[in-house]
Amino acid sequence: MDNRITLVRNYGIMLRETQTFSNDYLIKQLPVSTAFVDKKFNIIHASDKWITDFDFSNRDVIGMSLFELFKDISKSWKKELNSVIKGQAMISGVENFFDSQNNEKWFEWVNVPWYDAQENIIGVIIQTKDISDTIFDDVKLEKLEVLFKDKSKISKIGGWEYDAVKDKLTWCKITKKLHEVPEDFEPDVEIGINFYKEGYSRNTIAMAVDNAMTKGVTWNETLQLITAKGKEISVITTGKPVFKNEKFLGLIGTFQDITDEVLNKAKTEEQERIFSSIFNSSYQFTAILDTEGTFLEINETALQFSDLKQEDIINKKFWDAYWWPIPDMVKEGLKQVITAAAQGEFMRNEIVVLDKNKQPIPVDFSLKPIYNEEGSVVSLLAEGRMIKEMVEARQKLKISEQKFRSLYELSPIAYILSDFETGEILDFNSSFEQATAYGKGDMENLRYADLVPDSSKHKLINFLKEVDLKGTYGPFEHKFCKKDGTTYPVLISGSLVGNKKGRKLLWSTAQDISEVKKKEKQIREEQKLLKTLIDNLPLNVYIKDLESRKVLVNKSELIYCGFKEEAEVLGKNDFDFYDETSASISREEDLNVMNSLNPILGKETISVKKDGGLTKFMTSKIPLIGPDGKANGLIGISMDISDLKQQEQELRDLINVTSIQNKQLINFAHIVSHNLRSHTANFSMLLEFLVDEKDANEQANLIKMLTEASDNLLDTLDNLNEVVAISTNLNLDKKPVNLYEKIEAAEKNLAAFLKKNNAKIINKIPDETYIKVIPAYIDSILMNFITNAVKYKDDSRDPVIKLTVSNNEKYTILSIEDNGLGIDLNKYGKKLFGMYKTFHDNSDARGIGLYITKNQIEAMNGKVMACSEVGKGTTFNIYFNDKT
Amino acid sequence: MTKLKSIAIIDDDPITVFGVKRMLNTLNVSENIKSYANGKEAIDDFKRIINHKEEIPEVIFLDINMPIMDGWQFLEEFIALPITNKIRINILTSSIDPADRENWRYYITRTHHIIDYKNKPIQKKEIEKITRAA
Repeated sequence: MDNRITLVRNYGIMLRETQTFSNDYLIKQLPVSTAFVDKKFNIIHASDKWITDFDFSNRDVIGMSLFELFKDISKSWKKELNSVIKGQAMISGVENFFDSQNNEKWFEWVNVPWYDAQENIIGVIIQTKDISDTIFDDVKLEKLEVLFKDKSKISKIGGWEYDAVKDKLTWCKITKKLHEVPEDFEPDVEIGINFYKEGYSRNTIAMAVDNAMTKGVTWNETLQLITAKGKEISVITTGKPVFKNEKFLGLIGTFQDITDEVLNKAKTEEQERIFSSIFNSSYQFTAILDTEGTFLEINETALQFSDLKQEDIINKKFWDAYWWPIPDMVKEGLKQVITAAAQGEFMRNEIVVLDKNKQPIPVDFSLKPIYNEEGSVVSLLAEGRMIKEMVEARQKLKISEQKFRSLYELSPIAYILSDFETGEILDFNSSFEQATAYGKGDMENLRYADLVPDSSKHKLINFLKEVDLKGTYGPFEHKFCKKDGTTYPVLISGSLVGNKKGRKLLWSTAQDISEVKKKEKQIREEQKLLKTLIDNLPLNVYIKDLESRKVLVNKSELIYCGFKEEAEVLGKNDFDFYDETSASISREEDLNVMNSLNPILGKETISVKKDGGLTKFMTSKIPLIGPDGKANGLIGISMDISDLKQQEQELRDLINVTSIQNKQLINFAHIVSHNLRSHTANFSMLLEFLVDEKDANEQANLIKMLTEASDNLLDTLDNLNEVVAISTNLNLDKKPVNLYEKIEAAEKNLAAFLKKNNAKIINKIPDETYIKVIPAYIDSILMNFITNAVKYKDDSRDPVIKLTVSNNEKYTILSIEDNGLGIDLNKYGKKLFGMYKTFHDNSDARGIGLYITKNQIEAMNGKVMACSEVGKGTTFNIYFNDKT
Repeated sequence: MTKLKSIAIIDDDPITVFGVKRMLNTLNVSENIKSYANGKEAIDDFKRIINHKEEIPEVIFLDINMPIMDGWQFLEEFIALPITNKIRINILTSSIDPADRENWRYYITRTHHIIDYKNKPIQKKEIEKITRAA
């Protein structure tokens, strides 16, 4: 560096001395690379050497801009040129660039102002010196130095260099070999760093490189590398930065593979570590004694157990340790044991020692001699294994075995242990004995197959296969034979276990399910009973689901639906059986019941089937409530009350008839009372007159009136008798009577009366018409109607009476039609058949005929109706009851 | 004592008519005693009387059970007639049917005429009382 500065100074002096050149020719031949640039940095003159140095031989540089020639000219240089133009005397430095062959060139340069004759700055004189060779010689020298610094294992030392200018890392062959990369591998800094093992190694190298570049610090580290092939190696890596004129040029360094050394060292360390960790962390108490019984080493476990420190024990005698329960007794024994062990005997025993809390702890203790290479005992290895857990475990095992035993013996389930291959019975519990009456004495000759009745031996084969395949079988229902040969139902299951000798054993459990079976049977019987009961109820019973589909029906319902098999009805709903209206009503009821959970009880409903058949039901619908509190269907019970309803109607009719009759009776009583009273009133009045009457004529007149009154009374009594006779002769027998003949007879009887009135009878009755009547009544009835018809004739025409007959279901209807006066039924209809009711100005009207006639007809369970038109005539329809 | 202008007896029983007439004559309460055999005869005559602007009998003896038109039917038509005078109607019957008494009460409420109810036989004293009160 000192050389460089001197050099620059010399050039400076020289340049100052030559301020101007008169001749370009001289400049061309300058031995120093020199270029003259004007204020605009255009080249005015250049020495041949400058042109050569900067490799411009094939270009005409004169007149070109300096910046055009050096495109990547640094900003600092530009600044410096400017400051020279402004009057700064001289600026020098080192710069590099790459020539047309991309060779790196290093130059020292000096810039001085270019003055004209008047000492005006007209430009800059640039002088350069190619120092590339000098620089690279320096670097090489240092590289060699590094290479030879480490003398050993030369073959494993590889070199590397980093050219900061080219940003190029170069590895030598050995280095590449160490990284296990091919010879043409081209590393860079990042790749190089990444070969280091992630973590400590990579961090360290990254920092070292950074420090070298920025602070010029060298490094020498032992780090781990992961080769291209994934092998981990340990290397000593060194590096050194190279500067020239304070400019960082690059790094050079070495690699040395020290893996083997590291490994060897690690191995030893590892062994020691393993040994000490085993020694200290073992659950055993371990101590090494010399042959005299003195402690040489003791492990952590033993120290912790006894709450002692290494120094409390080392160099003490084994038998002096505090943990022996009865020191005096133990001491001599221990001395002997150690003596024996020192002579090569191996001692082992279960002993009890005291822990730090003076609690006795069972220990499996052993004392082992350790021999040296010559075969003599050099020390003794004392070991103690705490067997507290083992002892406790043994105790627990004992208890659990006892538990198992009692469970085994007391269990209500029979346990059988048998040899899977031979079927030999090896063990069974008392439950088995109770169930089968076999005893332990029978065990020897008993085979598993003996327990299975002959009828199900084939099943046995199947389940033995199953056991062999799966290791377990069951549970399934089976039968077991008792000692006396009888069988009982069991639920068996089992599993295969292997014993220590590799014998296959079968553990079987057999639960006596006789009771269960009995209950099942009972349930079945109860179900049958219930089914029978439901089926034979004189009620229709069914269960419907949420969709109102029938899921159960009893026999009555089945028959009602018109089917023979339950299956034909199940799944169907009311729309399949009833007409639309009935089905819709029923569905609505169902939904109500199931949504509200309120049952319908004893509701009278009418169901119309598809064929039009109408049935009256007393219906109850009760929701079936599921475990979720919601209805999952309903149970329906219907009673056919059609007959009952019919009877009820008949009864009601009967009551009506009775109450009408009752009313009639009261009416009759009043009539009777009225009639009798009116006569007696007349008697009383006339007699009173008679008493006071003096005039003989008048007396005779009164007596005549009294006689008339008396006759009237007798008449009335006769009429009443007649009526009463009808009412009391209800039981007179009805006989079939030829109606035609009866009319003929009546006509004959009335012949004179009819002739006198010029009346004509048209008998349209077929002569085979028979009616069931009381013969005396029919005579009276016919006479009455015919005489009435004539009596109330219209004087303007001769009476014509027409008789016809018709039938309906229950009655033979005789119609008697006349052409008489007719009667205003609106006015008199109600009274037409009343007693003592007359409606015409007719002196012989008694008002009793129709009353009696009506009573006679009704006495024969018939009825009479009239229709009439005033001035035209009247028709009486007489209904003769054919049935009763 | 002023005599009644006219009296009507409506009854189908000639003996009753004879009896009542005889008692009225004995009492000499009216010169004009009419009798009708049923309601229809009576109501037809009354309508004629009204048409001729003559006077309706001041006292009427009315039987209930009569053919063609009974006492009630008569009453029904009678109360509808335009008669401003208070006519004394005496129902005279041998009926002891409570229904008839109820009917009577019913008609009392429906008319301004005075309706009385008597069972047969009627006594001379009662007839006297009836005619005197008029």
